[in-house]
Amino acid sequence: MPVVKRKWRVTPYLFVSAAFLLHLWLVTAPSLYSFFMALCEWNGLGTPRFIGLKNFAEIFTSDKVAIGAIWNCVRWAFYQIFLSNLIGFMVAIWVSKLKKCQMPFRTLFFLPYVIAPAVIGKIWTAYFNPFYGINALFKSLGWIGLSNTLWLGDLVITFYVCMFVSIWANWGFQMVMYMGALQTIDPALYESARVDGATPFQELIHISIPCCYRTIVFMLMMSIIGAFREYDLVNALSQGGPAYASELLAMWIQTNAFENYRAGYASALAIIQFTICFAFYFVQRIATKAGGLEV
Amino acid sequence: MRKQKATLGAAVKWLILIVLLILIAFPLAQVFLNAFRTTRELKRRPFGFPAQWHFENWSETWRVGEYGQAFLNSIVVSGVSICAELLIVGLAAYAIAKMKFRGRNFLDGYFFASMSISSFLYIVTDYFMLSKLGMINTHAGLILTHLARNIPFNLLILRTFISDIPGEIGESAKLDGCTELQAFFRIIVPITKTIFFTVAILVFVATWNEYLWSNTFITSPSLKTVNTRYVRFIGDNTADLARIYTSSAITILPIIAIYLIFSRQFIDGITSGSVKG
Repeated sequence: MPVVKRKWRVTPYLFVSAAFLLHLWLVTAPSLYSFFMALCEWNGLGTPRFIGLKNFAEIFTSDKVAIGAIWNCVRWAFYQIFLSNLIGFMVAIWVSKLKKCQMPFRTLFFLPYVIAPAVIGKIWTAYFNPFYGINALFKSLGWIGLSNTLWLGDLVITFYVCMFVSIWANWGFQMVMYMGALQTIDPALYESARVDGATPFQELIHISIPCCYRTIVFMLMMSIIGAFREYDLVNALSQGGPAYASELLAMWIQTNAFENYRAGYASALAIIQFTICFAFYFVQRIATKAGGLEV
Repeated sequence: MRKQKATLGAAVKWLILIVLLILIAFPLAQVFLNAFRTTRELKRRPFGFPAQWHFENWSETWRVGEYGQAFLNSIVVSGVSICAELLIVGLAAYAIAKMKFRGRNFLDGYFFASMSISSFLYIVTDYFMLSKLGMINTHAGLILTHLARNIPFNLLILRTFISDIPGEIGESAKLDGCTELQAFFRIIVPITKTIFFTVAILVFVATWNEYLWSNTFITSPSLKTVNTRYVRFIGDNTADLARIYTSSAITILPIIAIYLIFSRQFIDGITSGSVKG
């Protein structure tokens, strides 16, 4: 027996070691080095100069773009949660109940997720082009107000257009994940509920949602982290413009690092990004525990 | 009364499903239609069917973009990444989901937190590290970074699904004298093979569509991947719209084809998330 017991102790570490070490080597360790650079004035190549917490002070006191970008991320996460996940979950329930043509729906709804953000950006910038996009269509219909709208150049609308495209690209992935969770529910639960005369809404509240709890919490966390990491798609659509109206935190980090040559400052921004996301890890743990699941 | 309500509900449901279907199918179809247009036509009327079908767009874009070589490169990079990632992440997810050991919670938290590390924080350092090892401008170097960056997300997905497998399956195997490794390959992988397939598709999408790393870590044109070709056309000052659309189509066609071929397994994979316990 002691032999077996020893094996039991070593094996899990062996199994985890490859993933952990590779990730530590290429992601975490180099990042720790950059974390230190957040305390420096550094252009990314030359000698860093230690300036203490000045970068952080600048972010919170004078960098209007950073504050705006963080606020945009919060809004982004909010809409991702309440629109993208909701559509994904709702359609997952509908499609999983279809007897025929489940496959075409599932396949088509998931397709946008497999397309590169740069390509998606190109597809939709054509639609939102003021000269030949949907504006030309509105013009031919005589809807002048709509036809004069600058979809990717308006201070308010641009953010929502980017949001729309992002939801268009991502909700299919959420749907597929939710379908996976729904499929694990024992059909007998629904049958007995129906015998008791439960309405579809009651089924949703008392069976579908509780049984998918782990997946739902996981997907919501992914949406929040996704909002703080979103970069490619918005960059392809609006470049964060006009006047930073659709700027997101990850984009502002890239701009500072590679265009403004302020790598130290960008590191400080990245630390804030990381801290916000890490805080949500604990929210997730608490939420999963509250749902009665082992974390 | 109830029956009427039910039909109304069904009507709304189908209406929404069909609207979503149109919203997704139209823009996708448009890319392929526009791939046959000339730039001149694209600037005036980029919707509907092309006035004339320009098939030469495809051969020209294929030639100018050197897509033959790029496809080979992408297949190598994505193929190796998928196999290696599945092995590395599979073992780790199995350990975290099914074994009790000190540090398990730490690892879970570690991988979750590390998902939010901005790639800008390590891309420069990685570049210098790999360049010291002589791995810049090699597929091996690019694959290593792909592997490392994709670990947390795929690991957490696999862990979520493996957690739902009843614990006794592995236990009984171990009583029969299997080692953990045998239990993993002979029992866990077969019953979750569809989930592994799912992760394979996710890794494929992530590596095939990746641009920033593929473009900076590979410098010689003969080693570049498909997605970097596409972006080159966008970056061109000439803004040759026809090229852009044709290369979009070329970039997404294989990914759509592979997805369609394997979608049955893929979706079964996601949907068979747990064996009934």
